[in-house]
Amino acid sequence: MSYKLPVPHPGTHTRPFWEGTKEGKLMLPKCGDCNRVHWYPRHICPFCHSDNISWVEGSGEGTIYSYAVQHLAFGPWAEEAPYVTAYVDLKEGDRMLTVLRGVDPEKPEDIAIGAKVAVEFEAASDDVHIPFWRVVEGD
Amino acid sequence: MPGNLYKAAAIVGAAEANEIGFLKEPVTSLQLHMEAIQNLSEQTGMPLSRIEGVFSAGWTTELCEHLGLRPKYIDTTAVGGCSFQIHVHHALAAIHAGIIDTALISHGENGASAGKLGGRGLGNYARGAGVQSPAHEMTMAYGLGGAPSNYAHAMTRHMHRYGTTTEDFAHIAKISRDWATLNPRAAMYSKEKHPFGGPITVEQVEESRMIAWPMTILHCCMVTDHGGAVLLASPKVAATLKTPPVWVAGAGESMGHGSMLEMDDFTATSARFSADAAYTMAGMGPDDMEMALVYDSFTITAAITIEMLGLTPRGEGHTLWKNGDAAPGGRFPINTNGGGLSFNHSGMYGMQLLVEAYRQMSRTAEDGINGDPGKQTDARTCIVNGTGGTLSTTGTLVLMADDAT
Repeated sequence: MSYKLPVPHPGTHTRPFWEGTKEGKLMLPKCGDCNRVHWYPRHICPFCHSDNISWVEGSGEGTIYSYAVQHLAFGPWAEEAPYVTAYVDLKEGDRMLTVLRGVDPEKPEDIAIGAKVAVEFEAASDDVHIPFWRVVEGD
Repeated sequence: MPGNLYKAAAIVGAAEANEIGFLKEPVTSLQLHMEAIQNLSEQTGMPLSRIEGVFSAGWTTELCEHLGLRPKYIDTTAVGGCSFQIHVHHALAAIHAGIIDTALISHGENGASAGKLGGRGLGNYARGAGVQSPAHEMTMAYGLGGAPSNYAHAMTRHMHRYGTTTEDFAHIAKISRDWATLNPRAAMYSKEKHPFGGPITVEQVEESRMIAWPMTILHCCMVTDHGGAVLLASPKVAATLKTPPVWVAGAGESMGHGSMLEMDDFTATSARFSADAAYTMAGMGPDDMEMALVYDSFTITAAITIEMLGLTPRGEGHTLWKNGDAAPGGRFPINTNGGGLSFNHSGMYGMQLLVEAYRQMSRTAEDGINGDPGKQTDARTCIVNGTGGTLSTTGTLVLMADDAT
């Protein structure tokens, strides 16, 4: 593997998420009692406090909630600067962080809050494929 | 109608370490604590042996051990930069309950020296579950580093929602620097004190080095050394001291999230809840406030906070700086020490807020610390708001001068 950036260490109860990413699926935790999707994964639902949580396949679609361009970065990311980070509102609800793809970090004014994004996965190791979001053309 | 804890205790003294800012010789956080505590004892005439409660944002046990204290009340609340506002709230309750009559709140943090000494010392706090936390697991791959990398997203969202511009927020940096040039203890007091010190213009803020778009470096606080300590006392004990009391009329605390991933609205913090609690306790509202001291880790933090405190409508926090109200000589002074942007910011700035609040409300700002006077305002009421984490946690205080009506 040639992936040089920090790689997450899968936790004790997030295995279904990481198994999903290897198959190109965005698995999301959903509460069976209040039917809401939440992110990040919880032991109990943050909305209704039920522990009746299961994993469902998400659409992999979302919109940009906010973004920034990182000029001062640390560690392995320093060589990538400038790059655009963004918070993405999932179509199913709740929000993920990403490094945004398909945008020009030198033209931050051209990036639109509310623009449609789609998920893609990069193999960082045999066990971990990391989701990243890309701006979808012609939204 | 004020609440039960209204004026249950007063801040009766506030002191700092002997040297603060960018020091020639590196110091430990513990030294900064101890210098501030000794100076506080001298200022108030309160022997350290009479301190009954000890409040600190980390390792309170080591602090008490160094002081040889056997406290009746120990509080190590460490929720970021607003921890010290929250300590005041807790001390108020403990004094009101009759558990203690005196409370020491202390903080020392060698934000600038730490790197030279090989690691951070007393005064810093651990981050919960760390790498085992799912919030960390689901964010660590995405290149966020220091605080600016995250806060920049809040500024972008504010600009989108309200049509604000970086120039709007640049006025906050410019006017904070104006205050700093009136305060010889400010790190950015003058060119003689620091190569980048002295007055700045809005254009300079706009054109300074980009850190995390839309924020340039002059939208960001410094990382310096600071030690500070304040003493709270019951009305009975306050009456016996030589220093003037500053009354805690209202206090409140709240939080919105830990990780910014969980922040629903990037343009709103829990200060709207902590301020509501503080105003309610005080029986007062935004119109009764005559000045404000708000955590300005970044210009956007200060702007949002002013909105949350009800001092302007949403989206208009920056206007108090832009129209000159917040400036020296203005109608509503804000961050009269120069703020975290230009006075001092060690990592958790809430202690600096408390020290300046005491100086302003006790009318001792011009008495100076170690011979360095600050700028005294005419205000008799002050709202103080600390913000911790990534716009995560807040503590709000409504303070009143002894002669305020």
